[in-house]
Amino acid sequence: MDELIEITVTVNGTVHREQVSPRMHVADFLRRGLGLTGTHVGCEQGVCGMCTILLDGDAVKSCLMLAPQLDGREVRTVESLAEGGELAPVQRAFKEAHGLQCGFCTPGFLMTATALKESGRSLDREEIRDELSGVICRCTGYEGIVNAVDRVLNGDAVGVEDER
Amino acid sequence: MKPASFEYLRPESVAEAVATLDLYGGTARILAGGQSLVPMLGMRLMRPGAVIDINGLGEELGRIEARGSETTIGALVRYSEAETSPVIAERLPLLGTAIRHIGDRQVRNRGTLGGAIAQSDPTGEVALVALTLGATVLVTGPGGERELAADGFFVGSYANTLGPEEMITGVRFGVVPSRSAFFERGRKHNDFAVLSLAVVATPESDGTWHDVRIGMGGMNDTPVLARAAAERLEGARWDEAALAEAATLALRDADPPEDVRASAEYRAHLLPIHLGRLLAGLAKEPRHG
Repeated sequence: MDELIEITVTVNGTVHREQVSPRMHVADFLRRGLGLTGTHVGCEQGVCGMCTILLDGDAVKSCLMLAPQLDGREVRTVESLAEGGELAPVQRAFKEAHGLQCGFCTPGFLMTATALKESGRSLDREEIRDELSGVICRCTGYEGIVNAVDRVLNGDAVGVEDER
Repeated sequence: MKPASFEYLRPESVAEAVATLDLYGGTARILAGGQSLVPMLGMRLMRPGAVIDINGLGEELGRIEARGSETTIGALVRYSEAETSPVIAERLPLLGTAIRHIGDRQVRNRGTLGGAIAQSDPTGEVALVALTLGATVLVTGPGGERELAADGFFVGSYANTLGPEEMITGVRFGVVPSRSAFFERGRKHNDFAVLSLAVVATPESDGTWHDVRIGMGGMNDTPVLARAAAERLEGARWDEAALAEAATLALRDADPPEDVRASAEYRAHLLPIHLGRLLAGLAKEPRHG
């Protein structure tokens, strides 16, 4: 058996002390170790972006990190977005702008968009597409996703906040 | 996509990392950003005895330093940091531009410059820029520190002259020519390049261009310099005929590979077209001073 390594990691505000196998990647750790199955696993080779999480605020692919690398770090997953049964603004924007169909990729887009929003950068649609290019969607054709992120970053005449 | 078993080690200094590499006698791998290593572990293209995680060595390896005419970038500097670094924007604009073509945001948030050089991907942007700008790769091993010219460091596809018990600690750049341009063509957005090109040169007030260097990625087993093309343009006026000749001469230093992304013929077809356009764009830029 692999020698387990003890890590202390904060996930969605909760501190966890866990024993992890070095060859388990972070997406598997979140899903199997902590039961946080909102982080989806697609390709497991860093191409599809489904498994994007926030590591100390930065969007990263959780299949490309080993679980012991989480020691001392702060992670946020898609489960951190909604509060008290209320969707977060970024989630509402995806819902309203038709930013998802099957929804499998959506956690990856939501976390990538959350990092973008928190960066405070103002981006045009071309730049938004570039920033989102690390997550693949096979349903939407991306237009709805870009619309949703555009609303989140730049607001809209029939803005998400207004409709609420 | 699960790696074979390995020891996971977290050294607290470069010295300890190198001692560990030495201990494992070439069977250990350094884990920096992990954006290439972790998928290779998962696909079991690599089965190292130990993975040495250097992500805790930011103090030693995470700095961007401008000293006199030299700029030194620590091996652990991540692409996203380099992308937004004012020092790199001012001193190494070619590098700043090229980095935006690497992977995607998530990859750039983790991937490191040292890792890119160690990986020695024939289409790698950092390797191409290091070669084009005549950079120096800084290396530490059990025998001490070594400085290796980027020109000569890359010796084959994913191969370099780094010893198995050595690690890259940084890359150093000198003064670079005043103008630069970068181009990349891949099958899809920010995918591995089919062709990448980096050009630097300094225009003089008499209309001639100097210090011309042209690097090509994806056109050989390693990034290579288009020496014949650069010679044609060195000290010359960049008129239409000179640029057209140079663009064709670039093929002399190319031996394009055939792989899943493109045929050798297609790569050879793209090279003069895009080099010609890149050079023409550079020649047309307004010359302030």
